[in-house]
Amino acid sequence: MDIQNFLLEVVNAIRENKELDKLASIQESDRLREDYGFTSFDLAELTVKIEDEYDVDIFEDGLVNTVGEIIEKLSK
Amino acid sequence: MVFLYDDKSYTYDDLLNAISGSGVYCPLFKSKELFPYFANLVKALAAGMPLTLIDSDIKASEIDGVSEEDINVKKTFEAKSYSSMYDVVAALQQSQSEITIFTSGTTGQPKKVVHSISTLTRAVRLGERYAGQIWAYAYNPTHMAGLQVFFQAFENQNTLVNVFGKSREEVYQQIADKQITHISATPTFYRLLLPFEKPYESVIRVTLGGEKSDQHLYDAIGKIFPNAKINNVYASTEAGSLFAAKGDCFQIPEAIRDKFKVVDDELLIHKSLLGSSESFKFTDDFYHSGDLIEWVDKESGLFRFKSRKNELINVGGYKVNPGEVENAIMAMDGVRQALVYGKANSILGNVLCTDVQLEEGCMLTELDIKKTLAAQLQDFKIPRRIKFVEEMSLTRTGKLKRS
Repeated sequence: MDIQNFLLEVVNAIRENKELDKLASIQESDRLREDYGFTSFDLAELTVKIEDEYDVDIFEDGLVNTVGEIIEKLSK
Repeated sequence: MVFLYDDKSYTYDDLLNAISGSGVYCPLFKSKELFPYFANLVKALAAGMPLTLIDSDIKASEIDGVSEEDINVKKTFEAKSYSSMYDVVAALQQSQSEITIFTSGTTGQPKKVVHSISTLTRAVRLGERYAGQIWAYAYNPTHMAGLQVFFQAFENQNTLVNVFGKSREEVYQQIADKQITHISATPTFYRLLLPFEKPYESVIRVTLGGEKSDQHLYDAIGKIFPNAKINNVYASTEAGSLFAAKGDCFQIPEAIRDKFKVVDDELLIHKSLLGSSESFKFTDDFYHSGDLIEWVDKESGLFRFKSRKNELINVGGYKVNPGEVENAIMAMDGVRQALVYGKANSILGNVLCTDVQLEEGCMLTELDIKKTLAAQLQDFKIPRRIKFVEEMSLTRTGKLKRS
């Protein structure tokens, strides 16, 4: 699975728990907090799930705000 | 009279023959087989010789103050002859032996604790009404709980059936074959027996110890063993067995009530009730047990365990008691076992995670579990990662391993 689809799946799983609508797609410009409504707990869940898959802690060296920033970290 | 069913069976006469007239034992004996282990133990205690108990699978380098070349080295002493097991039991009860045991190291290095026969056998009940019992031996024999069961059974010349580390099918097979009457084990052991398939009527007493249990488990045990009285036991490596169980509560016996204090919900135990160890730290002669309790009735010494002190997980500044979350998960149909723990996380400090073992055929999903929890727990107590596992890893004493 490519990064984008993986992220879509994880984002939707988190949104489902919060009883928010599933997204059909995600854009690099999407902001995690503002556009997805993620709290710090949701962001923590996102990092754990990414870490399980890619072994990278995306928040290790500071805050990540957008989907594009995550993809950039994972593509390195 | 059968003393022990293991791969082979052994009678009390076999045990007497192994002990009586022999003046050789191993002060530091490591054995995978139970019979030689018990024979060495009883022989040493009856003769008043010191003994160190170590796990059959442990390496000397894993324990402080034990060196590999001392293991299984024979030592001689003045042999004693016994005409019957009654003489052996009487000699053991008077024993002046120092018995060194180690904590299981659920967290960290095993700690050494030295006991006398009186702290180890404080809870043993003797008499005619205890005769003829058949015990499932479900604990590690070198640790406190295993020793408690051993002495209870041995001093009454009951039969032991080894089921420690056995599979679900093997355990049920032994219960049925040997018509086991008594089981004393960890909640983890009983959860292995779920779900209920058919009742086993020979069992009249079920004892849980070592970990927190929950109502869901009690109910299931009640179905599997419909004739059994269910009770709890509190025994620690440091102090042995201390309290009588009353339902899901414990009662401090009146005679030793002044030997306990509760400070900031933590149970403190007076040093006169403990074995001795360099690792113990006392405040005014009281030892910090690390167990957090709440009084049900302070007057009569009745209390309930809440959690372990160092177990609370800090999640984004909130303190989570993993036991509370585990109970909520294990109360769900189809869940056999749950372990809740914190995983280091750069946003929250820790992120709450759980490993869940389902019963066969159960289709519960991550979302189902989260939804059910959301109806009963605050948001910060809901695990953010749920991993479904085939097996849980256990400590040497059969408790869930908390890393």
